[in-house]
Amino acid sequence: MRPLSSRPASSALACLCLFLCSSVLPLTAASASPAGPSPQVQAEALPNEAIIPGPLSAFLRMAGISQKVLPEEIFPFLARNVLAHGYVGWENNGHPTEFLLLLLRYVKQARELSVLAGNEGSIRVSGCADAASLLHIIGYRVRQECGHSNTSLVTADAERAFLTVDSGFPLPALERTLQGGPPFVFSFPASRAPILFHESDWTSLSTHHDQLVETLLNEPVIARLYWALSRNDPETRVALRQSVGLAMLLPLAPALDLYGSQICIRSGRVLVPGGTGAEAAWKELVGVSPTTPQEFIPRLLARDKGWAASYFDGLAHASREQQLHFVSGNRLRVFYEAFRSADPSADATHAMFRPAPGLLLLVERTRWDSNDQPYVPGNLETWSKLLRQKTHSKIVHDWRRRAAHWDRPDQLLEAMFAFARIDTPGSLLQAYLTLSDMDAVRPPGQRLHPQTVQLLVSRFADLSDQYLIFGEFPELSDSSITRFINTADALGRIANHTLRGNAMGMFQANVGLWQILARQDQIPAAQLDESWLRAIEPFSSITSEARLFDAGRDSLRSLVESATGKPAVSHDALIELLSGPPQTGSEAERVRQEMAANIRTGIEGQRLVPLDTLLALGAGLHDLAQGKPVSDNLMGLAGQLREFEMPRPIFSSGERTEWAPGIYNNRHTDLEMKTDLARLIKGGASGSDLEEARGQLAPFLRDTLVGFNYAYYEPPGAQVLRNNPLFVRSHDFAGDTVLGVEHIWQASELFGQGAPAGGGAHLVGSLADLPYVLAEVEQDFITPENVQALIWKEMVPGLIVSSTLPRWWNVSGTEVHIVALHQRAGEELLQAASQNESLRDKVIPILADRMAPQTWERVDQALRSGQLAEILPRILPADTFYLTAEYRREYPDDLAASGPAGQELDSLLRRQPELSWDRLSHDFGVPHPVLAQSYGLELLNLKPFPALSGYSSRLLAETWDSSNLYWARLADEKGYAPVNLNRLVPALTHRMIEKISATDLEDWPAVLRALREAGDEFRQGKFAALLPVTASSQTKSIGLRWSSAEPGEALQPPAAVNPAPRAGKE
Amino acid sequence: MNRAPGPNIILSNHDSAGTSRTHMPKRFFFLCWFLGVFSLPATWTAAQESEPHIRVEVNMVQLNVAVTDAKGNYVTGLRPRNFLITEDGIGEKLATFGEGNEPVRKVTDAELPDVKPLPQDSTASPAPGADASLGSLVAGASVYILFDTSNYMYRGFVFAQDAIADFVRSLESADKLAVYSYSRDLYRSAPLTADRAAVLHGVRSTVAGDDAALYNCLLLTLKDASRVNGRKVVVVFSNGPDNASMVPPEDVSELAQSTGIPIYMIATMEAKLEPVSTAVFERMTAATGGKAYFAKNWKDEKRAFASIRDDLAHLYSLSYYPQPNPNRGWRTISVKLTGEHMKKYHIRTRAGYRPLPARSPAPAETASSAAQPASQ
Repeated sequence: MRPLSSRPASSALACLCLFLCSSVLPLTAASASPAGPSPQVQAEALPNEAIIPGPLSAFLRMAGISQKVLPEEIFPFLARNVLAHGYVGWENNGHPTEFLLLLLRYVKQARELSVLAGNEGSIRVSGCADAASLLHIIGYRVRQECGHSNTSLVTADAERAFLTVDSGFPLPALERTLQGGPPFVFSFPASRAPILFHESDWTSLSTHHDQLVETLLNEPVIARLYWALSRNDPETRVALRQSVGLAMLLPLAPALDLYGSQICIRSGRVLVPGGTGAEAAWKELVGVSPTTPQEFIPRLLARDKGWAASYFDGLAHASREQQLHFVSGNRLRVFYEAFRSADPSADATHAMFRPAPGLLLLVERTRWDSNDQPYVPGNLETWSKLLRQKTHSKIVHDWRRRAAHWDRPDQLLEAMFAFARIDTPGSLLQAYLTLSDMDAVRPPGQRLHPQTVQLLVSRFADLSDQYLIFGEFPELSDSSITRFINTADALGRIANHTLRGNAMGMFQANVGLWQILARQDQIPAAQLDESWLRAIEPFSSITSEARLFDAGRDSLRSLVESATGKPAVSHDALIELLSGPPQTGSEAERVRQEMAANIRTGIEGQRLVPLDTLLALGAGLHDLAQGKPVSDNLMGLAGQLREFEMPRPIFSSGERTEWAPGIYNNRHTDLEMKTDLARLIKGGASGSDLEEARGQLAPFLRDTLVGFNYAYYEPPGAQVLRNNPLFVRSHDFAGDTVLGVEHIWQASELFGQGAPAGGGAHLVGSLADLPYVLAEVEQDFITPENVQALIWKEMVPGLIVSSTLPRWWNVSGTEVHIVALHQRAGEELLQAASQNESLRDKVIPILADRMAPQTWERVDQALRSGQLAEILPRILPADTFYLTAEYRREYPDDLAASGPAGQELDSLLRRQPELSWDRLSHDFGVPHPVLAQSYGLELLNLKPFPALSGYSSRLLAETWDSSNLYWARLADEKGYAPVNLNRLVPALTHRMIEKISATDLEDWPAVLRALREAGDEFRQGKFAALLPVTASSQTKSIGLRWSSAEPGEALQPPAAVNPAPRAGKE
Repeated sequence: MNRAPGPNIILSNHDSAGTSRTHMPKRFFFLCWFLGVFSLPATWTAAQESEPHIRVEVNMVQLNVAVTDAKGNYVTGLRPRNFLITEDGIGEKLATFGEGNEPVRKVTDAELPDVKPLPQDSTASPAPGADASLGSLVAGASVYILFDTSNYMYRGFVFAQDAIADFVRSLESADKLAVYSYSRDLYRSAPLTADRAAVLHGVRSTVAGDDAALYNCLLLTLKDASRVNGRKVVVVFSNGPDNASMVPPEDVSELAQSTGIPIYMIATMEAKLEPVSTAVFERMTAATGGKAYFAKNWKDEKRAFASIRDDLAHLYSLSYYPQPNPNRGWRTISVKLTGEHMKKYHIRTRAGYRPLPARSPAPAETASSAAQPASQ
């Protein structure tokens, strides 16, 4: 059996050509950039090629490389896959994996077939007489007598046959020939692909191989160097080869791989973070001046077991503005010393993924005050105290004594650099970043009180995921935050497991509903704090199930009242409320009703007891206990509690115990199924018994309220919620069903996956990160369009959440048009920059602040050579969007001159200044629960994060913000009302994910390809079923005037249709 | 085909080559099967005024019934009056009847056994347009093949692929086939088509994968099949196990029963080493009216193929419109033969169904189907 990790298709790792040095360029190389690569570089960088045996498509299949890669990506991806998937423990003379063995066998088979194909490059078989050689090589034989209609091929040599089918050999065509059909002709040419430098440069590093393919497959160290250099820009690459030499670089390949992509050589000097003004500090730190790259780079890579390179790389990823903070004064040296000395014995280059992921977050997210001082949530004294608390971390322990004497914020930040070396969750660094983010968005007069900071940090390990809501809603006061934590603690202390689980679930469900209503602006901003307190207050003292039922009911009523002004609650009304604010336009209201129908269907799929039934029963029992007359249908309502049936069992209870130990646990549902209120009502129970009987409704109420949360966040195409009726009921809030889950208030973990006797997957933990967890559960139901889809496990849920969380009820047509204009104006700017050198000098530094360096340089070259059309499809929509926004910010009077879109945009923004960056960011941004510790929507101007250990893919997904911007542009082109984005965005994103064919974790180009392909389908009308047929959609394409369109209203026909540049791929 | 009023016993032994030697004048494969809940106008809504939130739709219920003797030989020549159908103990009136490859036809009152169905609710009667269901019944049957390409099949991958190719070749050209493969995700290698070459190409284009999410992917396959009019069946080639599914087999089995799609599982004895998969394969297929086969190895699956073909060729296709039934949960179906002398025969069909909640397709489903080429 093949190891699960043996194939890149499974884990989907490898390369995305992250690129280097853009961040440092604008500070130091204003002269180098416009000048472009020197003539010598252009000569050296001319592409060379290497031979790949057999057709490219077959090789790519076997090598786990997407069929859609560009030619220049093939060898880098091959090197990356060998590195990531080819060897087990290759650093210590490890052995090849099954993936690599198959690839090696395929290469051998392909060479045999190439011989058969001859000079012509085609394998020909005319019939049974001349098929023997081919059949032998491909491992098949003719079963029946050859030449008959029933002739078929069957496996003769399983090893060869596997390679044959796995590489996509056209077996059915050969079979038809052997049945007497037309001759078999299969083009089997040797393929060529561009390579770095010359083939001999690489084969000379090997003592055993004289071709690049074999060299990379058999020598992982060389493969790593190849992969590392492929992510440098051509000038740097050539300079490294010439000044240092590949042989010298070989032992430094791990450091170059992990931390080299930001190294950039221009005009004979290394561009360092902080710019030329920081060169002296870097010289002091590394020991060699950046002006001598041949010495600086090897020393940087080798210094302190790679930690210096790690530090350099981390700072280089930050924006220009951030870099300047970190090189100010003696910070560069001081912070590095803290970072390095935290654990000097560790090796920064030992693992496949870079350690200390906190460093990147720290340099990216550190906030500064107006005096260039690091931001301190609360005050220094608070943090000093926190550090002096008991800790299991040696690194933190080492800083305890120093913390006692802190008097400058820099000292706190210095400690955070040391803590960046700690990989465990719940670290002080994470707490610092979370609280910084949380506090920074609060109004100046409502900063977190030091006591609140103290409380939040002290409970961080248990509750940090709950803080996402505080980051999203800065309106919540210190008192509200404290009340929440105290309530959570009180609920966690309930001794009775059943009551505790129900209480925690119901409490979080109502908090989740509050969050939805607040996010949809249905609870007025001025009432957020008060409504929050009213919603959580009923849970402050839970002593029985009956009290819990009352608390859940009262809490729900209060938050509905906050949203509607009336405390009346009904099942349908709550669904209507969750589906969005009431709309005035008929089309908008229809969309809202569709959203409501989806929520309703999700709840029905779980067969949950309707809210009305539960509330009526609760009231009826209370009345009965008071001796009041009750409704005749009380018995009927009680009967509804018993309508739920478990799925028809396939396994006996004994089998479940044996085959799914510790997984199958439906105690909560079992208890519910034993509930028989009808018997109690009929039996003439006493008043007190009837009062307490209300408590039997609590678990049902919990399920229904939790079900509303699940159904609201259900991703498009979801299956589990609609097919596994135990999914919501099985949510284990108290951690009773599994051992080892310590932090039950943190984001849920998934249990029961892949355990057929276990009753299906279910969640254990809180609702704090529910949108992501549900997307994680549902992602495998997305059917890839490509045979080797190579989509990855953490990126896809992030993409899903970014499409399902935002809602567009309050977005106007003008705003959507402005989003589209930003993208079109960005393209105009690039077009103009290709004709105008001074404009190019303005545009490129802006792009360099958010683009990977290789991409930036490619754009620069394209602008210089007039090949913009080739590069435009490879530029992210978010890049053009940001280019326009930033260009207008830096050069407010110049945008109108860039072209018609720029002119229209400039005019619109001058007329409606309220449609600012912040507004667009809020309406078209994505959530960043890991990066910014909030589910608030925001456009962050960040470069793609590299692959890190731990939560890297989530970070990666959170830096992808192109989708919603692009879908808005498409809607604008087609003239659809903004409310249609509510159904269009999830559907288009779903389709985009189906189309992703990536090779590596960081394969941004693959995501962009999928985005544009899904967009092309939309333009072809393949999503028409989702959208209304409107006059505007039939008659308009682009260049709409939205000025009169209000949120929820259909567009008005344009007064004039402006010609627009052809978008992206077109 | 024997048209005698009494039942005939069809011997379906196989020779050493695995070729079926059915004693029938003609051999027709894959015409008459399977049950289904058709999305037709005859909709019965179980909503009550006091229970406004749950609404279910129950349309025509279609059953595929295999009748065998003690030796497993098919019993043919039965007539509508020989069958007694009850749903939750409520007698049901046969609406259509067909045997083997003969066209499905409407059943007249004169052909029915002497049972007294409850008074029909007007909404439960075949509504105008119900004849369309007959059209769909005689349309080509659709066979969905689901191929396990996970790591668990790695060593047997090429042999299983050969076996599936054989299975495809063995089916008559009138049938439509789809080939899906799965590991962690589902891949539609060949969407439903009558083009046999395209299907074979789909079989040979499958590639080995990694984790196994059998029940996730079987669920998706059933959903695809349920959207297609006419009779359909899912044939799974897998040795189990499952290490990645989110949904349990119970949910998949219920969906298959509620949508009237029998599941056949073809595995090798290797699957027997894993008791969980064996249990699921045997029980799920039985509950849906299908069968599980465990051959010595993938090269030895001809008997299973022949058995499936025989099975499909000898099924009785029955349908009825359910009498008013307040049960919104699981409804148990019982099919019996009338007369003492019939009691010795065995009946295999689905055990029941759960009425599906009435709902509109989700946007993503609509989008997906809109964006993909037509499946027929």
